[in-house]
Amino acid sequence: MSIEEQVTTFILVVLPIYIASFTLYVVRALKGPTVPDMVLAIDAMTYDLAAFLVVLAIFFRSPILVPVAIVLALWVYALDIYVAKYLESREMGE
Amino acid sequence: MIAPQTLVFGILALLGLLSMVATYLAVTERDLVKAVVFSAIQSTAYAFMYYLLMAPDIVLVYVPVAVGLYPAVILFLIKKTERFEGE
Amino acid sequence: MDPAWILVILGEVLVAIGVLCDLVAAIGMLRFPNFYVRLHAATVGTIGGAFVPLVGAALIAAGSEFLGVYRWFMAGAALVTAFLVLILAPAGSHALARAAHRSRAAVVKPKVVDHLEEDRRGGEG
Repeated sequence: MSIEEQVTTFILVVLPIYIASFTLYVVRALKGPTVPDMVLAIDAMTYDLAAFLVVLAIFFRSPILVPVAIVLALWVYALDIYVAKYLESREMGE
Repeated sequence: MIAPQTLVFGILALLGLLSMVATYLAVTERDLVKAVVFSAIQSTAYAFMYYLLMAPDIVLVYVPVAVGLYPAVILFLIKKTERFEGE
Repeated sequence: MDPAWILVILGEVLVAIGVLCDLVAAIGMLRFPNFYVRLHAATVGTIGGAFVPLVGAALIAAGSEFLGVYRWFMAGAALVTAFLVLILAPAGSHALARAAHRSRAAVVKPKVVDHLEEDRRGGEG
């Protein structure tokens, strides 16, 4: 068994578990009772999505797809900070 | 062995369904901050769809605009006005 | 033994650990009762579910000869992403938790005691 076949088989085994966990995260993100719950679920889901994108880039054998993960991780942090700043400024303003 | 095309089309179908649900919830939601968060879910699903369609250059532009700038501008607007949409 | 095999097996072990952490964190995120308990699941999901498989993916990419010369680019980009996640995820979670507690956006439903809340209310009044 060569390295290529072994890596491909491993990624095909790993992939449904990733998709199942993304489904669970999305359920929490859609029905979360408050705004911080939803933002936290999106946050964790997107960091895991960045890891999944690197694994998929190995599976598709196209190294040009990798820098997407860096951009995704950086901008979701920005979303996090925006919502936190909105919540705190509303509390300060009152 | 599953062909990669079948895999890509299956994940694309799931992501399209998710983005449709998120868009519907964002349109009908009364709390505008929650609507912004639903819109962020839809943007993440679209970024993943562009990635699966082998267009990483479009993702590099789409993610800063749809996940970064758009919620920032909308949250700034909501801060200046009201959070809950009236009747 | 070929060094490429060692890199690939090590990377696959790390990716498998990350996948298990990811599933556990997703179940916890769905089942935990309130926001402050869900922060634990978020930490498992970001550090265990994103940082560890990114390092593992970098090792797999470094050991995979079939990807060509650009596999070093893949490994480097994956390591940079792992470093960014290691820095950014706790900072974002902490900022969100602080904002949620100060603005009272998240209700603590099964609550025993909240000393921070009492201290802040005592300081104000």
